[in-house]
Amino acid sequence: MRTLISILSANRSKSATSAEINKSGDGARTKSPAAEKSPPVAAPPTDPVPAKPLRRTVVQAPVLSADSGPNAPGADGILIKAQPAANKEQCVFMVNRSLFPGHSWWFPNFESAEGSALAEALFSVDGVESVLVHDSTVTVTRVDKSATDWLPLAQEVGAAIRGVLSSGAPVIAEKVVRGMPSEQSIREDIQRVIDTEVNPGVAGHGGRISLIGVKGNAVTIQMGGGCQGCSAADITLKMGIHNSFRKAVPMVGAIYDETDHAAGLNPYFSRG
Amino acid sequence: MPKLRNFRIKIETGDPGTQGPVKFSINSHTLPLENVKGSPAAGQTLEGGFEVNSFAHSLTLVGPEEGRWNIKKMTVDYENEGAPPYLVAFGEVTLDETTEVNIWRDPPLPVYDV
Repeated sequence: MRTLISILSANRSKSATSAEINKSGDGARTKSPAAEKSPPVAAPPTDPVPAKPLRRTVVQAPVLSADSGPNAPGADGILIKAQPAANKEQCVFMVNRSLFPGHSWWFPNFESAEGSALAEALFSVDGVESVLVHDSTVTVTRVDKSATDWLPLAQEVGAAIRGVLSSGAPVIAEKVVRGMPSEQSIREDIQRVIDTEVNPGVAGHGGRISLIGVKGNAVTIQMGGGCQGCSAADITLKMGIHNSFRKAVPMVGAIYDETDHAAGLNPYFSRG
Repeated sequence: MPKLRNFRIKIETGDPGTQGPVKFSINSHTLPLENVKGSPAAGQTLEGGFEVNSFAHSLTLVGPEEGRWNIKKMTVDYENEGAPPYLVAFGEVTLDETTEVNIWRDPPLPVYDV
């Protein structure tokens, strides 16, 4: 089987030696110098050829995952699976029961965990920097960003989650649950932050941020323009947008990014 | 991003089907599938692959030059350098001369029971 590199090399040399047809980007063909020396031939009537699109739109097919879920929801025992993120800074713990149905809550430090037994227990584990609880998942960010092996810390976090759930203590403080604003309120506040702070800031790089949706108090955004495919987008999102959202709308829980960084009409990583 | 050694795709066509050759695009280079068996005609199944040996920034299946192509299901086997092979199944999608469908998925992240 030929490899990609060998085929691309062959294609390059072929195009360098053959001047017969020079296919331009819009599908037009021009004759070679040799062809121009040939006797003139009456040109056949040309049919209007519909212009081919220069660039195809990349569509997504649904992924039929064979993995229907990390845990069986009906299982009697507390089952917890840990999945470290690709950047190794965070780990998602998936529990086979709901922890905060329909909502999420971000605990940036130990003080914020007051009254929330789960977060209090997790901040007691050495090395935990922040905690995000969303439905049946707990996302833990650790202090040591240079460490790559999550298993030792994940086992401690798993034991802490199991201990709190076994005790029956309130996972999330009552004051958090009572003070939860409506989706509409969060949507309006986040949109205002995007319009007045975030987008004016990223506009200088040709970027823009769109609010895709609010579910409970979880926010989903999408990056467009120059932000799309930018290698700094992860930093931009985490450092800038998260801080702006959380500062202006403290009741925001999870923040998700639905950007396809390899698609779009004007991504930073161009498809050529 | 892992280095993709090769991939093999199995495409179950619905209705309408299309004519070959079936092409894919890797990092914006469009090429025909190799070692092809079967057909992309309506109701038929086609299998093909390619030995890439490069980093896949993007990997798509390119729609037909003319007409529409309904794909009922695709399964893609990926073999990356230094990682176990994995398979991803994709659901229904219809392509035409203006579209291509993303067939790249990163390797699954490891999961521990804790």
